[in-house]
Amino acid sequence: MLLKFVGSIFVIFAGSYLGFSIAKRYIKRPNNLRQVLSCIVSLKSYMNYTVMPLSDSLMNCAMGANQEVTNFFITTADLLKNNYLLMPQEAIQKSLILHKNKLSLTKEDCEVLLLFGCHLGEMDREEQQKYLTMIQKRLEILEGEATALRDKNSKMYRYLGVCGSLMVVLLLF
Amino acid sequence: MINIPEKIERDIYPYLPLTMTHLLQQVDGAVMRNIIEIRLRANRPLQLVMPDCKFAVQEHGKLSSDFQKGYICSEADVTHTIQAMSKNSFYALEQELRMGYITLDGGHRVGIAGQAILNDGKLKAIKNISSMNIRISREVKNCAEPILPYLIDQNDRVFSTLIVAPPRCGKTTLLRDIVRSLGNGKMNFSGVQVGVVDERSEITACKNGIPTLDIGDCVDVLDGCPKSTGILMLIRSMAPDVIVTDELGRKEDVIALSEALHAGVSVITSVHGNCIEDVRNRPYVKQLIEEKYFDRYLVLTDQPQIGTVREIISVKDETVLFSRKNDKGASLCY
Repeated sequence: MLLKFVGSIFVIFAGSYLGFSIAKRYIKRPNNLRQVLSCIVSLKSYMNYTVMPLSDSLMNCAMGANQEVTNFFITTADLLKNNYLLMPQEAIQKSLILHKNKLSLTKEDCEVLLLFGCHLGEMDREEQQKYLTMIQKRLEILEGEATALRDKNSKMYRYLGVCGSLMVVLLLF
Repeated sequence: MINIPEKIERDIYPYLPLTMTHLLQQVDGAVMRNIIEIRLRANRPLQLVMPDCKFAVQEHGKLSSDFQKGYICSEADVTHTIQAMSKNSFYALEQELRMGYITLDGGHRVGIAGQAILNDGKLKAIKNISSMNIRISREVKNCAEPILPYLIDQNDRVFSTLIVAPPRCGKTTLLRDIVRSLGNGKMNFSGVQVGVVDERSEITACKNGIPTLDIGDCVDVLDGCPKSTGILMLIRSMAPDVIVTDELGRKEDVIALSEALHAGVSVITSVHGNCIEDVRNRPYVKQLIEEKYFDRYLVLTDQPQIGTVREIISVKDETVLFSRKNDKGASLCY
């Protein structure tokens, strides 16, 4: 009986943990996207007004963002600074691989970030601004979708985790 | 005194594709010491230019005068090199690219050519860059020492001087040493306050506004600033005794220069040309010659070697102070 009781508690905790961690990813995604968006807005300023080289602009634009997003931008900047032959898109790809687990981004979000790196630094100031504005708009759309999904799914996964594990316990008894 | 292969390795190799770097690393050190330019052209051979000859680079770093046997630069080689040299920041080099060059750390100037994009008849940018000329910057300390007595009077006043020479004759190298010598003082000369308007970051090779070359203790540098604006800014803000700048040519440069000369500040500058007659035929700059703004003309040549002084002329009394024709075998510089 004691073993059954301990096992049930373990099942409830495991199920709830699973539900909460899935819900957490839904909660974190819009937040991460918002942080990336604010970094891109700040990057536009660093490119347009202070006219800093790309690696320095990426380093500076990440200041003030949360840890995961800051690390992503700083790693990209470091990669570019340490290897001039590396293209921005390759640097972003490597950085995404390194920080994939900490960032709650979907495949679609990563595709937009790779697109962001595709023409980064290759254009003059005016064209670069237009390009970044386009990326910004795409990220805003994704952020809107992510917020809607968060509202819809975060509670559901929490309840599902708890209730699902309770149901398993009841069935076992 | 200067180690060119080391400089190339430090300042230029990080930007070149690995295959090209590997080839150049195998080239004989004695050749690399004399190199003045590295030329890259899309789908054409990589060239190493020396003062009096040029070579293609074959496998294992062997040099050949048969260009077809040399390493052929691909379009990607040129694209990646310019991308790397701009540090993936074309937007930050808009102005320089529009003028057809960028300057690397160490003061090496990279000339570019490609397809021009026009906007309302004005050059907006250069795209599809297909040719690059990497000009190796040299720091030859004390190369200006023999000419200093011609540039300074007995009261330590520096004469306004125009250095005239065609490209690749060592104008910038000489200017750099003049800056250092005037700033530090030499022999009986105690030194003056020098202001440098380094429009292309070539004279002082500034990084983040701080000179990376030894340019002397009493030198203020306005880096990356157009000459026309910079000269007036320096006069107002830094009170220099001498202003040094490179490569005159535009109307506004000439206007700013005449303002400086009228403000009692000596100016040492350079202009492209084979002789004074050439300069007299150039628009805008000819005004400075006709109205005798300068005290000295210094004509450089690359014969028998780069940086040789051909003539030093005193403008006001129209006398030749030094001439290679009269003084056979004498090479004042380098």
